[in-house]
Amino acid sequence: MTHIFLKDMVYRRTRVVMTTIGIVVLITLILLLGGIMNGMRIQVQQYIRSTEANLWISAEGSGGAFTGFSLLVPEYLVFINHTKGVKRNSVSPLIFAHARPVINGKATKSIIVGYKQGKLGGPTQTIPNQGRMFTPSQYDDYRPEDQPPAEVVIDEKMRTPSGRKIPIGGKIYIGGKELNVVGRTKSLMFVLDTPLLFMDLRTAQEVLLKNSLHVNMMIAKTEPDYSAEALVEELDRNGMIEAKTLDQTLTSIIENYVDEPMKAVQFLRVMLWLAAGIIVTMITYVTTLEKTREIGTLKAIGASDYYIVMLILKQVILMSSAGVTLGVFLAFLAANLAPIFVKIDLLETSVVAIISFVVCCSGGYLASRKVLDVDPMIAFRGEL
Amino acid sequence: MIVQAKGLTKRFGEGLAQIVAVDDVSLTIETGELVIVMGDSGCGKTTLVSLLGCILTPDNGQLTLDGQVIDYAGQDLSQVRRQKIGFVFQLFNLIPYLSALENVIIAMQIGGFSRFEAEKRAKDLLTQVGLARRLDHRPAQLSGGEKQRVSFARALSNNPKIIFADEPTANLDSRQSDNLMNLVRQLRQEQQTTIVIVTHYQALQKDADRVIYMQDGKILTD
Repeated sequence: MTHIFLKDMVYRRTRVVMTTIGIVVLITLILLLGGIMNGMRIQVQQYIRSTEANLWISAEGSGGAFTGFSLLVPEYLVFINHTKGVKRNSVSPLIFAHARPVINGKATKSIIVGYKQGKLGGPTQTIPNQGRMFTPSQYDDYRPEDQPPAEVVIDEKMRTPSGRKIPIGGKIYIGGKELNVVGRTKSLMFVLDTPLLFMDLRTAQEVLLKNSLHVNMMIAKTEPDYSAEALVEELDRNGMIEAKTLDQTLTSIIENYVDEPMKAVQFLRVMLWLAAGIIVTMITYVTTLEKTREIGTLKAIGASDYYIVMLILKQVILMSSAGVTLGVFLAFLAANLAPIFVKIDLLETSVVAIISFVVCCSGGYLASRKVLDVDPMIAFRGEL
Repeated sequence: MIVQAKGLTKRFGEGLAQIVAVDDVSLTIETGELVIVMGDSGCGKTTLVSLLGCILTPDNGQLTLDGQVIDYAGQDLSQVRRQKIGFVFQLFNLIPYLSALENVIIAMQIGGFSRFEAEKRAKDLLTQVGLARRLDHRPAQLSGGEKQRVSFARALSNNPKIIFADEPTANLDSRQSDNLMNLVRQLRQEQQTTIVIVTHYQALQKDADRVIYMQDGKILTD
């Protein structure tokens, strides 16, 4: 004979399927939310790591290169370049700012990276056969009269509002200024698949800072024998700038762009776990109530409480296992189809699966204990 | 002697709403007897059978079943039920998603039979009650009389010392009731089982060894 708990599940299949779907959806959401956060963590670090800089300098009180408002005057370029331990001529002034370029009349999201070609902070070339790099400004120390053509190199994933590629020679507008798209790079995306737009530092200063000679940050490398931590301490003593190592910068940017804004999402994930447990508890409870006479009959013919609780628990375990497994599968599928970068981590998936399984089974077990209250006398009259 | 009850009392409710469903009842039932319990509705018949069948715990009194004094506080009553007692219910109480055969097997699996033994014995019992061609039918596909036959087969499945049947004919027409009583006679002859039947069905009296009349929770005549 097929196991009684399986026969019962087939008999009440609509409820079983609906409960399993509920678990599947919740597990998928829990994993996807985690995957979105992982994706953000990865993307937020990609650009910073790609620069290979290990000194990140911003204005004093800004909290770090990507954390708060930071404007640095050009004079610091010389000062930092001449600090002992900083690799000579490695200092690169950088503008890194969110912008809403207008393409075909519609604004889209992007990050502008203004840098000096040949210095840290940008790509060295475009994708083969996809245009050229922008024309650089003439002087190493930036000057008001040094104004290169308004050109921009875009990320290959940047699209028009209708989803088409922006052609080489196409126009985009930032701050009312027309910029000529001259090349495409296979660069790195910033948080939530925000594409990077690369342009000369002077062009960035013109479109974002009304041609002011300020920059957001300066990045540099240390000499091989020097510790970044020691240099950061020394630069900080200046009192006008705030220096951070690569690790400190990564920590602050993850905190600023992912952990802090995503606190609500973390809370939501816990709520979803709770919801999964409540769904299983409620459905098991209602099903147990519905089967009161059946349970009473089993008790009357000699079934122990343990036997009946196990019948219900086996169903809960099967539904939870199926729900969690399908949920994990669906989450991986959805991650590949998601419009943003989602990275579902295998270790995290295992932890989520185990916790979800335990939560669902615990809920089911609590509800199944209702069995203990069923009086076998009910079998005689069938009344609740 | 299979059953000896002394001073069994069962009350429901509290204060003014309290009802004494079984009031200081003492009785004995001998092995192999067919006992019919009769009386008006609410006289305490089903409560008495529930007490004798270890479904309910009495407020007072002592029950000895098959020579064993029932210890309500320290004994697992479900074990007593599956080893010594079979039940037949008025509403049949068959598990709706199991076939006739499976409904009998499940009781035997609870009783500790192996799957192979259970299936073999369940088939024999269902054949004995005339349902050899209905083994794979679910309760919804059986008539009332057939359901009650499955219920009797289930009650007999664990070789109980005694079977308690609560109004087994209440949901059957007279032809089905007659057929069922023929089955009870046949089972008594073949299985030598002690049977206690709670019923309003007068025709059963002629087959009974004893007829107990109850009124207001007490035995009026025995």
